[in-house]
Amino acid sequence: MPRVVKSREEFEGEVYESLVLVEGRDLPLLDGGERTEIGHERRRVDGTARVTGRARYTQDVYLPAMLFVRVLRSPYPRARVRRIDTKKAEALAGVRGVLHRFNAPKAAFRGEDTIFREEVRFVGDEVAAVAADDEDTAAEALRLIEVDYELLPHVVDLEEAIGDVAPRLETDGNVAEASTHKRGDVRKAMKEADAVVEATYRTSTQIHNSLETHGAVASWDGEVLTVFESTQHVFGVRQGLKMALKLPFSKIRVVCDYMGGGFGSKGGVGKYSIIASLFAMELGRPARCILTRDEENLAAGNRSATLQQIRIAGKGREITAIEHTSWANVGQGKWVANPTGPTNTLYDVANVSSKSYKVVTNAGALSAFRAPGYVEGTFALECAVDELAERLGIDPIALRRKHAGSPKDPLSGKRYSDKHLLECYRIGAEEIGWRRRRNGGMRGSAPHRHRGLGMATQIWGGGGGPPAYATVHLNPDGTVVLTAGTQDIGTGTRTVLAQICADELGVDLADVHVRIGDTENPYGPISAGSVTLASVGPAVRIAARDAREQLLGAAAGVLETPAGELRIDGGVVVSKGARTPLSEILGKVENNTVIGKGARHPNDPELSQRTFGAHFAEVEVDLRTGEITVEHIVAVHDIGRIVNPLTARSQVEGGVLQALGFALTEERFVDRATGRVMNGNLENYKVPTVKDVPTKITVKFVDRPDRRANNLGVKGLGEPPIIPTAAAIANAVANATGARIRHAPLTRARVLDALAVAEARS
Amino acid sequence: MNAFSYARPTALADALRRLRSGAVALAGGTDLLGLMKDGLVRPDTLVDLTGIEGLRGWSRERGKGLRIGALTPLIELEGNPQLGQLMPILREALRDAATVQLRTMGTVGGNLLQRNRCWYFRDEGTPCWLKGGTRCFAVDGENRYHAIIGARECVMVSPSDLVPALVAYDAEISLASSRGRRHMKLADLFVAPHGRERREHALRPGELITEIRIPEAALARKGTYQKAMDRKAWSFALVSVAAAARIERGVARDVRVVLGGIAPIPWRVAAAEKGLEGSELDEAACADAAERVLAGATPLRDNGYKLTLARELVRRALRSLVAA
Repeated sequence: MPRVVKSREEFEGEVYESLVLVEGRDLPLLDGGERTEIGHERRRVDGTARVTGRARYTQDVYLPAMLFVRVLRSPYPRARVRRIDTKKAEALAGVRGVLHRFNAPKAAFRGEDTIFREEVRFVGDEVAAVAADDEDTAAEALRLIEVDYELLPHVVDLEEAIGDVAPRLETDGNVAEASTHKRGDVRKAMKEADAVVEATYRTSTQIHNSLETHGAVASWDGEVLTVFESTQHVFGVRQGLKMALKLPFSKIRVVCDYMGGGFGSKGGVGKYSIIASLFAMELGRPARCILTRDEENLAAGNRSATLQQIRIAGKGREITAIEHTSWANVGQGKWVANPTGPTNTLYDVANVSSKSYKVVTNAGALSAFRAPGYVEGTFALECAVDELAERLGIDPIALRRKHAGSPKDPLSGKRYSDKHLLECYRIGAEEIGWRRRRNGGMRGSAPHRHRGLGMATQIWGGGGGPPAYATVHLNPDGTVVLTAGTQDIGTGTRTVLAQICADELGVDLADVHVRIGDTENPYGPISAGSVTLASVGPAVRIAARDAREQLLGAAAGVLETPAGELRIDGGVVVSKGARTPLSEILGKVENNTVIGKGARHPNDPELSQRTFGAHFAEVEVDLRTGEITVEHIVAVHDIGRIVNPLTARSQVEGGVLQALGFALTEERFVDRATGRVMNGNLENYKVPTVKDVPTKITVKFVDRPDRRANNLGVKGLGEPPIIPTAAAIANAVANATGARIRHAPLTRARVLDALAVAEARS
Repeated sequence: MNAFSYARPTALADALRRLRSGAVALAGGTDLLGLMKDGLVRPDTLVDLTGIEGLRGWSRERGKGLRIGALTPLIELEGNPQLGQLMPILREALRDAATVQLRTMGTVGGNLLQRNRCWYFRDEGTPCWLKGGTRCFAVDGENRYHAIIGARECVMVSPSDLVPALVAYDAEISLASSRGRRHMKLADLFVAPHGRERREHALRPGELITEIRIPEAALARKGTYQKAMDRKAWSFALVSVAAAARIERGVARDVRVVLGGIAPIPWRVAAAEKGLEGSELDEAACADAAERVLAGATPLRDNGYKLTLARELVRRALRSLVAA
């Protein structure tokens, strides 16, 4: 009989309390003994399917008689749609339907009741959609739709939107306070400080650029709506479709076999999913609505640009106070990620005051982007800490050490479940050769090239929690089907879950088939917030244990041996002196099936579960051209037990590269006069290329199970590796050149400007 | 992309006949197809030149210089070892141009005629001056990649990596149309858009580039190509510099300094080049030349950094001509 208990989970920097249904007892922590699978490098179980093209991504879904949908998007940043004339578009051969604000049914979407607004509020906002027999016809039909727009005043720039002359987009203004934190007496500490650094930092808008653009293919059979969607949360999409279409859950199925990246932007239903579903249900043919690269970069989310002011005070060899105020351009978003999160929680500093503001503009809405807020905030905070260390004349790591060792979360006062941040510093400093670091940098490969070292810290969640379910059932031939409601965002979810299952059950990895990405499976959480492994993994382990115990019972009966004298190893039931393959035992009972069930148990509400880490950078800077070359990144993370060192390392390398873009090259430009995104493409929006990759990336893990986290002792790794890289690079550049660049990305223009300032000063 | 008809003639004369109004020549397609997909060029006929014999490949006759067929893929200029000996600047200039895929498809003639990369020009929804609109959006807009010198109504920049290198070697081009043939200096192909000249190239309607020639005298020059990008591959130049000179007993003769990425045309200043005639290309002379090349530059809001970069790359390029 299940019981209801209160649980406390962290998600993307916020703590949530929830009610959890619990049945039975959790397993004790997996012990430290040697295992066949867990702790070993395993290539992805679906690697072959992915690289051969056999894996089915949403964009690979072509259904018989499928319609192609294209969306007409507003060319203006703010306008009223007064009239739409679709006669010419509808007359085009092959066009099957047109939807717009005057004929579309009401559909709830993010707090509004329509997907085609009367007042369009950014370039790219949905105005109409066309379904046609093929893509070209749909695209041509868009050109034939005549829209009468009444243009309205707009603002796209963060700092303009904060100012007095900008049009007010919301009745209570463009700026809204989102969160504040205060502890101690900041004013007093500032007054008594030996040094106070006051600086303004900026970060630019970063676009996700998932290789697979957002999109959905919807199919309605008169009874059930099936939606194939590139999503991080099949259940979230189902929830969104239920709200929009007013269908019961039983009539909606959402499937995501494989996805080509999400990075936070594919967390729920999109307008494209609703549009495809409306056409499918109205026209009785499957409908496919997949965004182009241009649309992807207009209307599928971004990381907010920020303006951040920091005052940080030091006395002796300590940080005594931090004041941090952040403004974030959320575009037409309804929420804001919190850049002051790291300031509030990373360091045990007695006096802290922070404020985070949301600023709306006529640009595409933000969406979560891999450690939203923390990437932006850590850039500012960790640059400021270095600036203070320099002012106090002490080593940047020494200053951090004073505040990084506390076993308690300074925000909540709760104890951390585990923490090895100082160990991360020790390992990282050793790997990068921190002892070589000199004020003023080191000589580079030529007289006009200087080298520098820098580092930065990260704090993030990733403890996960309930609800998350898994079932494990055995086929009569001894092969195993592991079913869970999670999906693989690309981190290797299938592989690590199969490893956990194989170990706990005692079967070969190759015999475990993982079924995920389908709302027909028992519930799984969103693949975001770095929670997947820590949420689903423990449930898989319980399900596999349950199946193993049932199997041993079956084997005991078949072999006429007490279950206590049996164990399962490598797909074989081992008894004293005999080895019987599982297939032989299960063959005897044929289709009588062993089904193991597992559910994630709640977290200890008295503990704060966090991941910690530090990145170190060695850079070389050409002082005359401003060119930055990142030579070496050392990434050290404390994320509990490592299930698969290979996929874990890949995750860190991917995070470092995405951070490299944020740090050096990636920046969305919006023309202020027209509100148009000038570089929503892969030419001028500069994602790092293979040549930009650092010569060396060293990945290290503390690799100690977090004994109080969950039955595996694991925590998440999706987001931690993108958080500290940009600050580490900026700190290394400052070390190399004496030039402090407070705006990410560190473009040529910014580097050359800062070098000129530094030269004028010296 | 709009519907169009397609022809692939095998004779030049046939191709020229087909290049009537509304028809556009297609070679590697690396620029044209993008322009068509973005709705900027809507031809009714594409005349595919790739089936024409005789416009591909290169040859060298002693005393008569180097001839390069307009349809020669860029990758061939980059990868050919003899050409690498003869004119190493080609490899240097092409090495960091676009990507290996684009260099495989792209042709020499197409490279010379590529349209500029200004993001206002490339955005179908922005009615910029060059496309027939009333004003340049970049002047008061997002202009970090735009011109710092030599611009008039339009502040786009010359995007090619190959062009500055060829101009530094006094390249000439042969043009053909159904009305006949003509020749010009490559440098004269480029137009800074102004007044009624809302175009980047002095090509006449229906005209094709058939050949590029490097005079024999220029082949005696030493040359170098420097390029600054905002990432380490697959980027147009923020600033690029091709420099070439004949070095005789430690002094420079016939000096050429040609910049890309800073002006609507490949940027040369005759006075700067003359000033270096007979120079040992010492630091002072190079710095002075950089000042002369960039005299009168008027950076926009976001592109002042190009001036710093251009000075340094000019200095570096010239210095490297006399480096051991």
